[in-house]
Amino acid sequence: MTKTAEGIQVEGTVIECLRNATFTVELQNGHKVLAHISGKIRKNYIKILPYDRVLVELSPYDLNRGRILFRYRN
Amino acid sequence: MNPLHSTAATNEHPVVVTRVAERQWHALDDDQVVGRGHTSPRPDGRVFLSIDAWHGAVFDRLADAMLTDLPRPLHTVVDEADLDQRSGWERIGFTVRRREREYLVPTDPELTGLHAVRPPSGVTVVPLGEAEDGPLRALDRAVRTEVGATVGWETMPAEVVPLPRGVTVLDPSRYAVAARGDRYVGLVRLAPVPRQPRIGLIAVRADQQRHGIARALLAEVLGSLHRSGVAAASAEVDASNKAATALFEGLGSRLAGGNLELVCR
Repeated sequence: MTKTAEGIQVEGTVIECLRNATFTVELQNGHKVLAHISGKIRKNYIKILPYDRVLVELSPYDLNRGRILFRYRN
Repeated sequence: MNPLHSTAATNEHPVVVTRVAERQWHALDDDQVVGRGHTSPRPDGRVFLSIDAWHGAVFDRLADAMLTDLPRPLHTVVDEADLDQRSGWERIGFTVRRREREYLVPTDPELTGLHAVRPPSGVTVVPLGEAEDGPLRALDRAVRTEVGATVGWETMPAEVVPLPRGVTVLDPSRYAVAARGDRYVGLVRLAPVPRQPRIGLIAVRADQQRHGIARALLAEVLGSLHRSGVAAASAEVDASNKAATALFEGLGSRLAGGNLELVCR
C-alpha cells in the first residue's frame, strides 16, 4: 500500500463486474472494495475483466470505495 | 505549468485547481490531490477529456478550469451505465453525440451459425497474418475514403492508439482480408488480446457489400479463435449502424455494455 499526496493506492484483483460500471476488487490485504474505472482508463478503452490485477486509489472519504487507475499486464 | 487557476469551497476547505502540465490539471485540498483532469488527443485530431474527482463540486471546478483553457469542441467518453459521470458532464454542457454498444461475440460456429458459411463466388478469405501489405493498405485507404464520404469515419470504432502521420494500418498481421481476384475488397482487424480478443474493425468496400463478405470474414476469424480455445471476442458497434448491429446480433452476440461519446461545442 502506498500513501502519497494523491491518496492511498493499493494493488488488487478484480473479482466481479457489477452493474453501473463498477467492480468488486479484492485488495492485497483481503479487503474488498467497490471500484469504478477512472475516466483516464475509460477514454482509452482499456477493458477491465475478472482476474485482472489493478491499481486502485482508495477514496479518502470512504475506504470501501475506490477508483481503478491502472490495469497491469498479467 | 500554469499558475493558480481557480479556487472554490467544498465544505470547509478551499480547493485549488492548477494546470500542472500541458494535458493535466490537479485539484488540491490542503496539499492533497482530490481530483485530476487529463486531455488526450485522438489520431483523428479530436481532444478527449477525463476528470476523476470524489465530489461533484471538485468535478465542476476542474471542468470549469479545463473548459476555460481549451478550445472547443471537446469530447469525453462515459460508460452508459455510469449515471453519475454522465450527469456530471451534462451539467457542464456536454451532450450525447454518439452511442456505442459493446457485444460479446461467441466464437463457436454452432452458436454463431457460421459453420456453413462460405465466401461468395469468386471471393477468397486470406487468414490472419497472411494478407499482403501493399494491397491491405490500399484497401484500408479506400474504405476510409468511402466511409468518410458517407456516414463519416467517426461512426466507426474509436481509434485511440497514436499512429505515425498517414499510417492507419499499424500491424498487418492483425488483419484477415477478403479478395476478389487480385483485389482486396474487405477486411477485419483483430486485436489478439489473450484474455479477450477484440474485433477492432470490419469493413467491406461499398461496391462489394450485401454479398456475405463480412460474414465470411467473421467465420474465418471467429473460427480460428474457437480452434485456439477462445470462447468469445468483444466488438464495439455504433448504435446507429444498423447493418453492423444486425450482423453481430445475428451471430448470437450478447450485449455487454455501452459507451456514450459526449461533446461540448
